[in-house]
Amino acid sequence: MKNTWVLVLRYFSQEVRNSNVLFSLGLYLVGVAYLIYLLNGGSVPADKVWNTLLWIVVFFGAIQLSSRSFEFESNDYFYYYQTIAGPGATIIAKLLFNSAYIVVISSLTWGLFSVFFGNPVYNTTLFGLALLLGSVGCSVVLTLTSGIAQRTQGNATLGAILALPLLLPILQLTSVLNLQAIVGVPTNEALNLLGSLGALDVGIGLLAYLLFPYLWQD
Amino acid sequence: MKGLPYKIAGLLLILFSLTYGLWAEVPELPIIEQSIRNLFYHVSMWFAMVAMMAGSFGNAIRFLSSENMIRDRRSISLAEMGMFFSVMGLLTGMLWAKFTWGAWWTNDPKLNGTAITMLIYLAYFVLRNSINDPRKRARISAVYNIFAFVMMIVFIGILPRMTDSLHPGNGGNPGFNSYDLDNGLRLVFYPAVLGWILVGTWIAALRYRIRTLEE
Repeated sequence: MKNTWVLVLRYFSQEVRNSNVLFSLGLYLVGVAYLIYLLNGGSVPADKVWNTLLWIVVFFGAIQLSSRSFEFESNDYFYYYQTIAGPGATIIAKLLFNSAYIVVISSLTWGLFSVFFGNPVYNTTLFGLALLLGSVGCSVVLTLTSGIAQRTQGNATLGAILALPLLLPILQLTSVLNLQAIVGVPTNEALNLLGSLGALDVGIGLLAYLLFPYLWQD
Repeated sequence: MKGLPYKIAGLLLILFSLTYGLWAEVPELPIIEQSIRNLFYHVSMWFAMVAMMAGSFGNAIRFLSSENMIRDRRSISLAEMGMFFSVMGLLTGMLWAKFTWGAWWTNDPKLNGTAITMLIYLAYFVLRNSINDPRKRARISAVYNIFAFVMMIVFIGILPRMTDSLHPGNGGNPGFNSYDLDNGLRLVFYPAVLGWILVGTWIAALRYRIRTLEE
């Protein structure tokens, strides 16, 4: 457990040190949000379109993030990390770090969209919860697939190809919840869907934890 | 020839379902009418596909626990067969949809599930092709296979139940629910499923043997 925590802190400091990457991701979010604003002629899109655009922006941001997820464990560094931390600690640390990262990306996008297109969300609690659970689910899938892509020796597009179909169930469930939050369904009536999304997150998280040791060896 | 009984049984069952499926008595339903016979040809493809994918998944798990390359070859052969059944199921389904719903493709949870299943397994084949070392390929693709199968089951087995579907038997459709129990349909449908699974296993076994010879 201590190992995991050290690793998470290490990923954070790595990210801060590589601040140009962080900066480019932020620029990407602002740029795309503004692009949509421009192309849309400054008008406010319908709620469904708003939600779709939000998830597309988050989706590409998350893919971009995950393509670098195992960058520092490539080549010779891989053996170094393998000796200092077991696969269990590594995957948990990666999952925590990536989840936090994608949660930040999606909340930032929500904020940007509120600035440019207004905030149509009626039930903020439900929307926030769905965003949180959806981001965690995405991070689980992306962490595992980028781990797989990294083991195939630096095929960056492969990670996106592998992740795309696996992300669709999560994104679909999340966006159904988001749309409910936009129309203003009370949170306790959406508990059924929230529960299934949460269960899905936990399930795939466990699966990733069980499968990762098989990737983390040579 | 090894396993001759099951191969002959599979062929006979398919022959039976293909021929008897055309002249069996079927319930008269509005909209669906005679196209209800597609139950024998279309739905059995999906059952066979899930069986093949499950076989591939099981072999992937057993590969990870035993590191035995035989398991890997079985896993990929069964996945290929499953992919074949899903293409067949899609084609028969689209043909049926054109005449029943009036469109080749509709926004229906089951159709989305199919599209995603096919994408997942195509990604699996891409992954396999991008790794050269056989052992590493086997291990990494087994990991993806297991994860992918679980996601596929979530998508085709759980999510569609939470939403309405145009498909007969779901939502507000003249469904199969009451006709599912029709013994005449079952008499053809179950043999068709069993027959396709047996023949699918046979073809997968042939693919497996070709792979073994190649190595």
